[in-house]
Amino acid sequence: MAALPFLPDLPLTLSYPLLFGVLLVAGMLGGEAARRLRLPRIVGYVLVGFAIAPVASAMNIGPLLDEARIFVDIALGLVLFDLGRRLDLGWLKRDWTLAASSVGECVLVFAAVFAALSALDFTPLQAGLAAAIAMATSPAVVLLVAQDTRAEGQVTERAFTLVALNSLLASVVVTMLLATVHYEVRLDLTNAVLHPLYLFAGSLALGGAMASVARTLARMLERSPDLHFTLVAGLVVAAVGLAQAGKLSVILALLAFGMFSRNEGRGHELMAVDLGRASRLFYVVLFVITGASLPLSAFETAGWAAAILVAARAAGKLAGVFVFASLGGLRLRQALGLGATLLPMSSIALLLQHDVARLYPEFGQQLAAVLLAALVAMELAGPIAVQWGLRFAGEAEPDRRPAPPVAQGVAGQAR
Amino acid sequence: MPLEFAKSDALTFGVELELMVLNTRDHDLTRGAPDLLRRLAKAQLPGEVKPEITESMIEVNSAVHRRFPELAADLVQVRDAIVREAGRLNLAVAGGGAHPFHRWSDRRIFPAERFLKVSALYGYLAKQFTVFGQHIHVGVESGDDAVYLTHRMARYIPHFIALSASSPFSQGEDTSFETSRLHAVSAFPLAGHMPPVGSWDEFNRYFDEMAGYGIVASMKDFYWDIRPKPEYGTIEIRIGDTPLTVSAAAELAAYAQCLAAELLRSRREGAVEPLYRVYGYNRFQACRFGFEAMLADPGAHTHIRLREDLLATLYRVQRVASELGCAEAIAAIGARAEAAANDSGWLREQFARTGSLSDVVRLQAERWRDDPAKAAPQEGEVRLRAAK
Repeated sequence: MAALPFLPDLPLTLSYPLLFGVLLVAGMLGGEAARRLRLPRIVGYVLVGFAIAPVASAMNIGPLLDEARIFVDIALGLVLFDLGRRLDLGWLKRDWTLAASSVGECVLVFAAVFAALSALDFTPLQAGLAAAIAMATSPAVVLLVAQDTRAEGQVTERAFTLVALNSLLASVVVTMLLATVHYEVRLDLTNAVLHPLYLFAGSLALGGAMASVARTLARMLERSPDLHFTLVAGLVVAAVGLAQAGKLSVILALLAFGMFSRNEGRGHELMAVDLGRASRLFYVVLFVITGASLPLSAFETAGWAAAILVAARAAGKLAGVFVFASLGGLRLRQALGLGATLLPMSSIALLLQHDVARLYPEFGQQLAAVLLAALVAMELAGPIAVQWGLRFAGEAEPDRRPAPPVAQGVAGQAR
Repeated sequence: MPLEFAKSDALTFGVELELMVLNTRDHDLTRGAPDLLRRLAKAQLPGEVKPEITESMIEVNSAVHRRFPELAADLVQVRDAIVREAGRLNLAVAGGGAHPFHRWSDRRIFPAERFLKVSALYGYLAKQFTVFGQHIHVGVESGDDAVYLTHRMARYIPHFIALSASSPFSQGEDTSFETSRLHAVSAFPLAGHMPPVGSWDEFNRYFDEMAGYGIVASMKDFYWDIRPKPEYGTIEIRIGDTPLTVSAAAELAAYAQCLAAELLRSRREGAVEPLYRVYGYNRFQACRFGFEAMLADPGAHTHIRLREDLLATLYRVQRVASELGCAEAIAAIGARAEAAANDSGWLREQFARTGSLSDVVRLQAERWRDDPAKAAPQEGEVRLRAAK
């Protein structure tokens, strides 16, 4: 071997490019297999992740997989930015029922999950943290399934808005509860007040600053969708990095970046570019890695409690949507569909759970297991619920089958 | 079975306007018509708002009117209601003859039996028919008058094309045409114009023959630029793009009313065939060049610039216009013709300024919403009560 120094050492070193490529292709294949079974592609991505996890630990590349979180962060950044861009505060003013159903579903989910977990003998703070995390719907799942089914209409649009708002609210409430925890554990009032303040103000400021950088650069560029896409994608990834470096909330910062990038009342410098196709590369890897990182064993230890949490959460979401649905002019079918699209629970919840576990190890293994088990279940059930909801509401595109070439007459068929 | 021509009062008039339903993110067309229509069904409005072939379109039908100011006020009221309800659904609505950058394959057929049949028969033509036109109805007293007016109005079709043109962009590109919408209409096998029949009886014989071949079942199967509409007792001018404002739409209807009045008052003689020999050429000239089109005049064996022909015609109908209460509308059209200003020009200006078709559509939705300004509320209420 030493005689041929140009040859690589064996076994080959696994690198990020190889890992990214393998995860991407394997995820894509899993997604296509799922699609043939008329399931959402995400289910395939996640199942590939589940399958990769034991292989990875056998090959001892677990650490590499953990470090591959960079892909997850980029994907989440893109998702949150896209979602923030879709949050139209003007709409909430024009249709108060939308704002009301957002508050309604968040409050009801919180109450239901809090009550359920309290009944299972968790402390109020533990139950509160879990309830706050449960408010968040996975934006990546909703965006991706809507894109895959080419859904369009009121249910889809309202779902985007409600998901943006509940992600926002969940991260705000979790941050505030963490401050309380901080105080209870260390009796340090200064930190308990300053830390959440730093998180809110800092994340919002970062989002705002990135948006004005985007605008300023956009003004100097030709108005071509390609250029604006590159600009936005670059700044989104940079914003994720800045948020992490500044120990800020990635969720808040990126949602804020998206929201401030909307053009309302401003100069319309930044084009509303479609991030869809390019960001899918990262979304596929996001779900594969999420699947691989979820401990399936949690389901065995905390399966029942998780089932109760999931049921309480679903009841809260559906009830919240239903209370204001008819006032907002939604048909029953649309309200049911909308309720279903709010069910997915994935990366945002996982991210919040990580934050909580990092800052507050006392959070408890047991509650973490309940949340993770709920995540495992919803990782598969969530996308299916969204796909069903969008189809049931009539917003997913019907299957495109070319009509058989049978000649027909013109008579009586004019527009 | 002859077609019964419903008698209506001569020179009453009304319009149908097909409108774009847009998202407010990038102002592409979106699937908003079903929800918007459901909300509008609860509103008390003069006329009707109806579905069209794809779910990104709605159609406004005005009530029947005698005078221009009433039609104009009506349309403002309906427009305000549509804008308000669309806002609650986070949708925008706009005029204009075609969406500048939508992809026709993204459109969805409105799930009504008639539209599904059209789609099954015409394939992709049905989705490509997501274009937006203004139809003007003018009442006539008999089928014979309808046949006469349909023929004689053909001479003025280029005027309506130039005045209403508002679809210079298609599939993301400038077409160099003033209106690109008419190509979507021309693709249908029964598009074109009425054959040179001389009377309602003769028309009926033609219709029976076509029905006998199994090609048509009703007047709706003819996609002609102008056609008699026996059910309403009107002629229907279907050539125009939907203008960018309701006032322009009302003015065009007033022009049609005045032309019809003038044509009925001083009846033209002579064969209609020569009119149709130059028809296709003149129609193309108007679509391509708008006011600067050179029209072939079959009588004089010469060419005349569309704008000059239009101004001369406006001058001729002035008297009739003041009798009908349309003087204001005719003056407004005259001013636009003098300035050679139409909506296509405005759209091109917006594109030159913003460099983005998405912005162009946003601006055209704003123009639809704001121009002319909202009806004063009291006035609206009075009209509403009167309508009840």
